[in-house]
Amino acid sequence: MIELLVRINNSIYNLSRVHRLLPWLIAYLVLLPLPKLLEFVLSDYYIDLANRACLFILLCVGLNIVKGFCGQVTVGHIGLYAIGAVSSALLAINYGLSFWVSAPLAVLITGFAGIIVGLPSVRLEGAYLALATLGLGESVRIMIAVTPALGSSTGIMLIPAPAIGDFVFDSFERYYYLVMTLAVLGIYLSFAILRSTTGRAFQAIREDPIAAAVVGINVTMYKLLAFVISALYAGLAGALFAHMPPGYLHHNNFTIIEMVTLLLMVVLGGIGNIWGGVIGAIVVTIIYDQTKDYYFYQPLIFGITMVLLVVFMPRGIGGLLGRMIVKKKFIKNHEDKVIDFA
Amino acid sequence: MFKINKICLGVVALSFMFVSTAIYAGDIRVGITMRMVSENGQKYGQMMMDEIDIINKSGGINGNNIVATLMNDECKSDKGVANANKLVSQKKVHLVIGSTCSSVTLPIVAVTAKAKVPQIIPHSTNAKITKLGSDWIFRVPVSGRFYAGVNAKYVGENIGMRIAYICAADAASQNDCQAMQGQMRSQHGAEPVYVAEVQEKEVDFRTHMQKIKTSNVDGIMIAALAETMARALIQSYEAGMDESVRRIGSSSASNAPVPKIAGDAAKNVFFAAAYAAADKRPIARLFNEMVRERYGIHAPDHDFSQAYDLIRIVEIALNNAKLKLTNSSLADDRVAIRNAIAGIRNYQGLASGPISFCRDSSPVCRDGNRTAVLIGYTKGGEQFETEVLARVTMPMDFGL
Amino acid sequence: MLETKNLSKKFGGLRALWDVNTKIEQGTIHGLIGPNGSGKSTFFNLITGIYQPDLGSHINFAGQDITTRSAHQIAELGVSRTFQLLRLFLDMTVLENVMVGYHCHSPYGILSPIFLGTKVRKAENIIREEMIELLEFLGLAEFADIPASELSGGQKKLLSLGRAIAMKPKLLLLDEPGAGLSPVNIDNLMDTILTLKERYKLTVIVVEHVLKLVMNTCERITVLDHGKKIAEGTPEEVKGNRSVVEAYLGKEMADEEIRRVFTG
Repeated sequence: MIELLVRINNSIYNLSRVHRLLPWLIAYLVLLPLPKLLEFVLSDYYIDLANRACLFILLCVGLNIVKGFCGQVTVGHIGLYAIGAVSSALLAINYGLSFWVSAPLAVLITGFAGIIVGLPSVRLEGAYLALATLGLGESVRIMIAVTPALGSSTGIMLIPAPAIGDFVFDSFERYYYLVMTLAVLGIYLSFAILRSTTGRAFQAIREDPIAAAVVGINVTMYKLLAFVISALYAGLAGALFAHMPPGYLHHNNFTIIEMVTLLLMVVLGGIGNIWGGVIGAIVVTIIYDQTKDYYFYQPLIFGITMVLLVVFMPRGIGGLLGRMIVKKKFIKNHEDKVIDFA
Repeated sequence: MFKINKICLGVVALSFMFVSTAIYAGDIRVGITMRMVSENGQKYGQMMMDEIDIINKSGGINGNNIVATLMNDECKSDKGVANANKLVSQKKVHLVIGSTCSSVTLPIVAVTAKAKVPQIIPHSTNAKITKLGSDWIFRVPVSGRFYAGVNAKYVGENIGMRIAYICAADAASQNDCQAMQGQMRSQHGAEPVYVAEVQEKEVDFRTHMQKIKTSNVDGIMIAALAETMARALIQSYEAGMDESVRRIGSSSASNAPVPKIAGDAAKNVFFAAAYAAADKRPIARLFNEMVRERYGIHAPDHDFSQAYDLIRIVEIALNNAKLKLTNSSLADDRVAIRNAIAGIRNYQGLASGPISFCRDSSPVCRDGNRTAVLIGYTKGGEQFETEVLARVTMPMDFGL
Repeated sequence: MLETKNLSKKFGGLRALWDVNTKIEQGTIHGLIGPNGSGKSTFFNLITGIYQPDLGSHINFAGQDITTRSAHQIAELGVSRTFQLLRLFLDMTVLENVMVGYHCHSPYGILSPIFLGTKVRKAENIIREEMIELLEFLGLAEFADIPASELSGGQKKLLSLGRAIAMKPKLLLLDEPGAGLSPVNIDNLMDTILTLKERYKLTVIVVEHVLKLVMNTCERITVLDHGKKIAEGTPEEVKGNRSVVEAYLGKEMADEEIRRVFTG
């Protein structure tokens, strides 16, 4: 199994030497016919499942930036998701804007909201920061719940599906092309950020804020930046969720339960590991769907899983695999050297 | 090589997991999505499944079995939509039943309309559900505004015009609260004396109660989910308002936790509902007995009766529909079932009045029981008792 | 190069540093010694902006007043330091640790990774090459891709030095570089530091407990005791200073090593 992963890893590396975007292009092309395959082998319900997995991938990748890279414990992410969803929906319904205008605006609005969610991080850390962000996230939901203009208890209905000319993204398959493209783009950008000065600054702050400041990193600014970038992801996911047929939003989709599910995805996949977040989002979405018949025990199982993970596998699936690959490589390099020696 | 084999094995096992639910022709597939987080929710979900079992054991529908899938949507719209998609696309059901929450039913209506699958709703009462104009939906109850109309009529004629409102933030209570205020205004020209908007699970009503007490009202409308309502009722007595101030409940006042938690504070609370456990008809007595024996429910509320009526209506419709039940006839069968439900006239079940549907996609055709009973609690606690205060039928097009 | 005037810091009622005036000349290695709790670490923390000095203090670096600047601004001016407890970024790789050190010299803006992929990639390659060169000099190149947490103690120490050097500093503050090292390793470390100093034209301030190391390499030494400067001068001058000996030896207690160093 590890051998296989190492081999895949190596071939990806070789491909990226031909052109850095080549692996991405291949991945995208492989993913494109997925709806056809799912429909043929299973049923088109699984396209819907794939769409939801893509939304969660965007959320997880975004959450990973602030929580995984930058180490800021935030439990208010779902509130940002809600802001993105509601603002895009309202812009589309009240001002008749098309998705292509309302979604970017919603993403920007969510970015600003990200600054507000991030402000407590300047002074607070760990559990205190979690509490502060929890309060902010939950207050967003309550605000939606009590304001008729934001949908309140009836929710926002009939949010139009995105369209390019006559091509309306109103079926599972069509929506898949939209969310999958954006999810792949989201993952790619996340890597671009991680592998830059910005990404390293985030990680340094996570590891040791004082040492980070001493090497010249503006800790406050980078913390806020991490919150803003993750908010942009959440805003995009929210807008995509709002416009996904049947185009209905209700505040009870943004409760603490959803936040915990999201955290489970990130923890299961591996905090601070981009592919981990992606794996976590996919695995949890599928498991959740497949265990629907045991709804009675679901919360219990999810809770226990989370505790066991934190105790026994704090780096999640992604962290575990990543580490194995790195070690294998290191050992192999050394073996090569020994052979050279001989 | 061995490893490759293992991986292949895993993939095969995984795909078996996905295709665990094989689909057989010849069965009538019914999908149910509802809120299963409360004890009662689970019990009447179970009752629907049991009733379907009984139909199957006594020969099914013209010899065909009904295969029902029960799913939990936790009263969350995204879960409900996912359930509906799964039922419609993967389980290929002929009929969707649900949901019990308006905020879940609303988006599902769009899913079933698009997939052209008939949907029948046990007790979501949001007015917008049938106003959306989907050709594929029916509901056993009627929009909440009917109950508000009945309540307002009774309140105006028997209690007085000075009414205070406590409105919780959940969908049903907001609906009930708004509708009642609207009806008091339109029927009697009465403005609310005091309106308090509170959280869905608010625990402290004392300041509101004190303010209401000083403003000298004839009645208080408490619109909230059962537990919250019970708390508010108790605190209204603690605030020193005696029985001369009548307590008006929202639709969830019919739920058993209200008298159980509120105890004597539930006495004199009245509400409009589609079914009264105090109903003296033989069918009602039999039903009460059945529910008590099977599910240990002391007195079933209209959530139970509507779930039961729904299964009876579905049974009649399925018997009337000419179903082919082959792999290729899915779309035709779905149309046939819809038409059969639309053909239901004057169904007399547990509901306080007859239920009729018709072909048009307007609320007039698609809302069910238009007769409400006004029920008052005469005793609280575990062994609570109720009485029927009045029975009111509203015109077909009331409040549209 | 660096000049402090009336540098003071109070923590509640405790005076950690008390009107310290000192001047460090460009291109020198300057020692900072004193018994435990004498304010050496506080001095470093004030210079690098981790703590804010009390009112009335002045810190001047390369002609600029840096008294009230924050840590990252001071770092940008070219002040770099190591920590006694190293404070490495343990979950990051060895290479990434030194690349973080290069932060201030990154040639692209913070949002460029999103919009200017090619530019960032080219710049990253240049940075990586430069940093691997540095790792090679420190003898850590073969560990470039493993997490810093898996290095040995001595290697970690070298890496923390590498991270400080990657900042291309003008002034390098070393906080107890010799702590926990064997005498042989200390000699090696001192050689490395001297080579680095020549190579990058550094000014160095060393806080050290191992007096032999300070006495042998530093050109000037400042001695602190209970937050006050009690002596300053060449190693010879300091050795002969009566109050220094008292500060170290106390009244009765005598540490063998200190006695040996002081009495020559």
